[in-house]
Formats: sequence, C-alpha cells, structure tokens
Amino acid sequence: MIPHYWYNINVDLPKPLPPPIDPYDGDSRIALLTRILPSELLDQEFTALRYVPIPDEVRELYARVGRPTPLLRAVGLERALGTGVRIYYKFEGALPAGSHKLNTALAQVYYAIKDGAREVVTETGAGQWGLAVSLASSLLGVKATIFMTRSSYLSKRQRVLFMRVYGAEVHPSPSELTRHGREALRARPDHPGSLGLAITEAIEYTLMGEGRKYIPGSVLGFVILHQTVIGMEAIKQLPEEPDLVVGCVGGGSNFSGFSFPMIGAKLRGEGFERTRFLAVESEAAPKLTKGRYAYDFPDSGGLLPMVKMLTLGHDFVPPPTHAAGLRYHGAAPALSLLVKEGIVETRTYGQEEVMEAARLFARTEGIIPAPESSHAIKAVIDEAKRLPRGSVIVFNLSGHGLLDQDFYEKVVG
Amino acid sequence: MEINKPGLGAYVTATYPSKSAFLNAIKCLSEVSDFLEVGIPTLNPKYDGPVIRRTHFTAELKGLEAIGVAKYGAVPTILMGYFEDYVDKLELVAQVASDVGASSVLFPDLLFEYIDRLEDYVVTMRNYGLRPSFFVASNTPHRLINLLVKYEPLFIYLGLYAATGIRLPLYIERNIREVRRLVDGITLVAGFAINSPEMVRLVINAGADAVVVGTALVDRLNNEEECRRFMMNLRGGLPR
Repeated sequence: MIPHYWYNINVDLPKPLPPPIDPYDGDSRIALLTRILPSELLDQEFTALRYVPIPDEVRELYARVGRPTPLLRAVGLERALGTGVRIYYKFEGALPAGSHKLNTALAQVYYAIKDGAREVVTETGAGQWGLAVSLASSLLGVKATIFMTRSSYLSKRQRVLFMRVYGAEVHPSPSELTRHGREALRARPDHPGSLGLAITEAIEYTLMGEGRKYIPGSVLGFVILHQTVIGMEAIKQLPEEPDLVVGCVGGGSNFSGFSFPMIGAKLRGEGFERTRFLAVESEAAPKLTKGRYAYDFPDSGGLLPMVKMLTLGHDFVPPPTHAAGLRYHGAAPALSLLVKEGIVETRTYGQEEVMEAARLFARTEGIIPAPESSHAIKAVIDEAKRLPRGSVIVFNLSGHGLLDQDFYEKVVG
Repeated sequence: MEINKPGLGAYVTATYPSKSAFLNAIKCLSEVSDFLEVGIPTLNPKYDGPVIRRTHFTAELKGLEAIGVAKYGAVPTILMGYFEDYVDKLELVAQVASDVGASSVLFPDLLFEYIDRLEDYVVTMRNYGLRPSFFVASNTPHRLINLLVKYEPLFIYLGLYAATGIRLPLYIERNIREVRRLVDGITLVAGFAINSPEMVRLVINAGADAVVVGTALVDRLNNEEECRRFMMNLRGGLPR
C-alpha cells in the first residue's frame, strides 16, 4: 500500500527551523527561486501542514516503478555476525534507477509539468540523481537536461549511457552552453568540474530559455518531504519497533526520508520512545561531526538562499571517494538541527572499512550495495556487535552498486 | 493596549528616509492605521527583503537612538528589532520601549536563534509594563506555538513568506488557517508582501485578525497624501 501522505517534520521539531536568508551582495536569491523552481515545491518548503497529500498521479507513478519497496530481513548477515541481533533493511535499490532518488524526481518533474514546463534541468555528481531525473522525465514525457561534473562524466560512463537511453541530454560540466561554464573552461581547459559549478550551470541554463524548470536532488526541505515516502512505508512494514535506525548522509535526503516519520512519532510521544537514530557520513565530507552550525549556501556558486545547517563551508572541496554521493559540504537543515539537539547520533567511516562491509553484505545478502549505502551497512555491523542479543536494527539500503565498477574493483582487488 | 480586530498596521523603519520624514510619516500613519510597527535600524536586517534592508542601511540614525526621536502611543506601537543586536541589552530595549510609549518589542529572530532566552524575554517585557509578542513562520513547530499561547502575548505575528516583501507561490490561506487553529484566541497578525486590498481581505478571511504592510509603503513615505491614500485603499480590504 502506497502512503497517501508525505510527512513534514518541521512542524514537530524541538526547535523551529531558522528561515532561509539572502546574503547582502547581489540580487535576492529567495526571489530567484520563484523563477527557477516549480511553484508547488516552494509551497511545500514552507508548508504549515504536518501531512502533505501525495497527488494521486504521483502515487500511481510510485506504484508503476515498484513502490512500496521491500523491507527485508538480513538473515544471511545476521547469521554471519552471530550476535543474536535482528536486522532489517528497506531496499530503495529495487527502484528502476537503482536508488531512492526517484522518489523526489517523480514528484518534482510532475510539479514542473503542472507549471507548464517542457524541460527540466538539473546537475548530477555520481549520476544517481541524474539517472532518476532522466527516468522520471521519460515516464512523464518531458525533456531532461543534465549537467554532470566532468570527472564523473568521464568515469561513470554507464550512468551517462543509461541517462541517454531514457532520452536525457547529458552535458559534461563545465560546458560551452553557459557563461559560467565557458568562463571555467577558458580558465582551465581540463577543468574536472564540481557539483557547485554544475548547479550554477543548471540554474543559468534554466533562466536562459522558456519553459524550463530547475529541480534539485537533495538538502532542500521539499526533497526530504518527498523522500519520507520511504519511512511512511517502513513504519507499516516493520514487524517490530527497532532499537536502532541507520542511514547514510550525503545531503541528508535518504537518511531523513527514512527516519523522519519515526523521529516525528518519537517527538510527539507516539511511539519509537526507545529507538536511537544514527546518521553515517563519509570521512571525505564530515559535516555532521566536524561542520559548523551556521548559515551557508547549499551550492558552491552561492546562487541559492543561505540556510542554517551543519556545513564544512560551501567552498569546501571534498577529497575523492568512490561514494561520490556523500561528497557534499552540508546536511539538510532539519537533519542538522536534530543532530545539534542530540536526537540523531552521528558516525564517520573511511573508505577501506566500508569496503569490507560492502563485501560481507554482498556475500551474505546477495545484493551489491551502493558505496554510499555501504557506510550505513558498516555502522549496522558495528552496532550489531555491541547491542544486546534480541536487539533490532533497521537501515535504509538507499541504492544498489551495480554501476559502481570503480568501487568494486577496489573491493575485490 | 489591544490591537483592533480586524486591523491594519503599518511598518516603518525609524528615521528612514530621514528623521523629519519619519516623524511626519508616523503622524500621518497613526491616523490611518490601527497600529504601528517601528523597526529599530540595524546593520544586519537578516530576515528582510531588499527594500526593507535598504531602509535599515539608509536610516538617518541607528539603533535605539533612532527610536527615541518620537513619542508613540496614539495607536498601539510595537518596536521591531533583531534579538542578535540586544542579546546583552534586553533591559535597555525594554526601558526605551516603555519610555517612548510602545506596547511591546517584537524580535523576529528570538524563537529561531535564541529560544533559550524565551522566558527571559517574557519576564523582561512584563517587568517594564510591556506585553510579549512573537514572530513565527508557517512551519514553526506546532507544540512551540501552543506554548507561546500560554504566555498571553499581545499578538503572534505570522510571516507569510520567507522574507519581507518577496512574494512566493505559497498557499498562504492554508498556512494562516493552520496557525489560526493553533493560536486559539490570541490576536494573529500576518504580514510580508501585502500590497493590495484584495490581499488584505484574503488574509483576514483566512483567519488573521490583522495585517501589516511595510515594503509597499516604503516608496510612499515621503509623500503624505500618497501614503494616506494607499493606506485608505488597503483599509478597503478590511471587513466592515
């Protein structure tokens, strides 16, 4: 059964979310949002509703792509660990684009079309988001234009290929299509690109033509709102209340989408009283443990309004990691606030230890996990060894790793 | 002093565009408004849109000195300042507010950035014979709004959009209805980007008791007649 509502945690938070603000230089970024984003998304960003109705059309699309996704018991992993802890996972990799990103891509493209858009524009790093937007656009019959960081464009060839199979136009960023792209290329012909620059190009490209809308892949409130479909389903599917809920964090949309409906129930005193929540980040971008809680730009280009979040600084360039989806400088404002308030615990892992966890999971459960999700698996394994027998852990397996050849060559190598 | 329901309020930044023009403006606005909201000029008007920000930067005087140029009270007057500027000077603000005849001091960043000072704020207001008042956003936690109601504030101010003067495509009627449900019998004031009698009507019909206009007034402040005409036109949106 697909949920009828997304859940808005903002109205249940222990403290109010500070509003987005404009910096003092240049034009109003808040005003710019009305020109680039689908209008319903802006409404959802600030809604006073606790439960936001999912349009019937979006629920139908969710059903078509295979929602609800399965909640599975990790019997093989449990046996291998032998600690008497029961482990469940929600498998978002079962969606056709291979990750949870499709949950918000479908909604955002739907709302863009409602506003009369004929084309949606976005950026992508590793390509999970780009692939989800390409698929959503294909299903809904609208053009998708994707600016993909040049280094990923060159290394993640399969994702580029499949985006094109879905009919998307994919450009390596920096590109010749925008002023920002041309300037970057002039300054450095072999520019590897960055997510921040790709966002800047996507927004500039959106403003250059008629009938275009820009849609973002993480961090913003409405992205997380759409992702709560994961947690709303999980609450119905779980046969027992967990002691621990785990997810990995890039910008925060998969962890938040999975855990917020449960955290909300806990905050309202309606269940999950003894449940702990654990957010796992990559050593490459440790904003949850080493970030400052401050107003910062969500994009490196500073085109979007500033939001208060845990951040390493919008000009922070994370070192390379195979979990490219976790290479982001900030964490979504509501998640940041929950970490600040001690309601969500945090942990950081490096690439090597995560690879071992991925290998063990693949061999015991059969699913090849995404490098990003393998961070959550590593935490689950460590916690299963610490918790008393009979404890229950549930985690979000946000994506499969079948297109992450670079990571798995290292895993077996 | 309670706020008229339904009511129309006017926001002005103290000593913008000049001390004398400001004095003229509040005199005129007191005749055509149910209440006044007077901004304390600050160097960091963080939640304001570009138009109100400009008034803060170009006000003739800064800080509480700007407030002190006038006596208020012909209609209920609320000072509006950023708590950030008065973290260690709360008593001073309350003293000034009391001296100039204001009814309350509204700090829009109190709940968002200094919520641990909430109790302190309420006590200080009361100690100086003032009423507390609170600024909330549409997505402010419901439980917090329930708590605010218990302090019996002069009003709760709902910012309809993310920043003053910048209209976004939000279902503000739905948000007002939700917040109305939570604030119970407390006076609910709504503002941000209100510039027409139609919008005044819509906001009041959705459940607000009063509306505030600010950004749309800024360029009319120099011309008393135009200012008066504009406010009278907005009043047309209030139910009779």
